[in-house]
Parts: sequence; C-alpha cells; structure tokens
Amino acid sequence: MGKMKIKAKEKDGVVKVKAMFKSLMADKEEAEKKKIEAEFITYIVGKVGDKVVFEATTSGFMAENPLIKFSFTGAKKGDELSFTLTDNHGKTVTDKKKIK
Amino acid sequence: MERRKFLNLGLVAAAAVLAPMTNLHAVDFREAKPDAWKAEKSADAIKAMFGDGELKPTDKIKFVAPKLAENGGSIPITLSTDLDIETIALFQDANPRAATVVFSVPEGQKVDYSFRIKMRQTAVVTIIAKAKDGTLYTLAKEIDVSIGGCGG
Repeated sequence: MGKMKIKAKEKDGVVKVKAMFKSLMADKEEAEKKKIEAEFITYIVGKVGDKVVFEATTSGFMAENPLIKFSFTGAKKGDELSFTLTDNHGKTVTDKKKIK
Repeated sequence: MERRKFLNLGLVAAAAVLAPMTNLHAVDFREAKPDAWKAEKSADAIKAMFGDGELKPTDKIKFVAPKLAENGGSIPITLSTDLDIETIALFQDANPRAATVVFSVPEGQKVDYSFRIKMRQTAVVTIIAKAKDGTLYTLAKEIDVSIGGCGG
C-alpha cells in the first residue's frame, strides 16, 4: 500500500473526483491462496481543509487497487483535497492534490 | 411469526430512541461495529451494522451493476440517490464475509459513488442506506459471476 492517484475537477460548484489507491486488497483467504500477507485498506477519508468530504470503511472484498469516483460540493478551484488511508496493519498514508 | 417480528421491531425502535446520540462524523465502522465485519451472511452483517430496524424497499436509489460479470475480480458498481442519506453500505453473499464497503456521507453531500468489488461466485448484492431520519432503505440485485474473483 502506499501510492495513490487523485484527480479532482471543479465545474459549476461540483467537484468530481477520481481516486485510485494502490493496494492488493487481499483478505485473509485470498492472501493464503496467493501465499502473501493479508493487506487491504480499511478506512479512507477525504478532506478539503478540515471538512470531511468523503468517508468510507472498506474490506478486502473491494477490487484490487480500488478506483473510487465520487462528487462533492463546497470546494473551489485551487483548494487542496487530501486523502488518508488506513490499512489492516494500522499503517496510514496521506496524499493531497489541488482541485483543478 | 409476523406478530413476533412486529413486537421485536417495536422493542428495537424503543432502544434506538433511548440510545445516546453518537458522533455522526468520522466514524470508522470497523472500530465501531467490529461484529458486522465478521459476519458471513449479509443478513447477519446488516443486523450487526444497522440493528434490527425495518428495511424499506426503495427505487429511489440508483444501483448500477452488471447483470453478468465476466471478471469476478472487478465488478463495477455505481450508487447514487437524491435522498438524504447518512450511511450507505454494500453487502454480498459471495465472499467469506459479507460486509464490503460502508460509506458515511458527509453533511450536505449527496450519494454518488462508483467503485469496484470482488465476488467469488454468483450471489445477491444488498445495498442498505440509512437516511438522516433513521429510515433504512434496501435494495438488492443478483450478479452473475462467470469467473470468480478473490483468487478463486
């Protein structure tokens, strides 16, 4: 887990976001089969400033490298959108991107 | 059976009203509801996550999913609605555990999510949405999977 790709575009007050999070999303059973360590994102939170705009609790049954599309209101061009991921080991990663 | 069910619902509703209001924001559902993530069947997971409340079928939530998924490892799902939803969750019976994803919709935002899930076999996918007024909406769809995902 680690890298993420974020694309955010504002139009008429609505910010459309496409975000891809790199993760194997391997749950216990799948990890056993592939003989790797279980690794999946458990919690994703997206913020603009201090305001939460996206929040999801996930399990290993999301597809590999989860790609999530969503839209939100209340931000403008130039604002910074940040995502924080937490994985099943408790590791967190944060990345941010300016809204275009 | 009907009567018993009804009585149970009444009890649960009373308990829900009495329960203290919890902070609606920044809820990590894995910490808040650990049992829901261990349940094998959708019905059990839903109970653990949202309680025993009445589930109201709805057509106001748009749930887009392929009827036949060629690749069980990556099934695109789109959820959108104009209803005032607080939490929206997806459960399926195809994998060892049912809970797949729970979105907490931030204040003032609408549900509009696209994402992908894994399914090992053909199964029913259930969406549960909790409205701001506490109503639980539900809709379900069966997705045919020709090749199992999850390394299966």
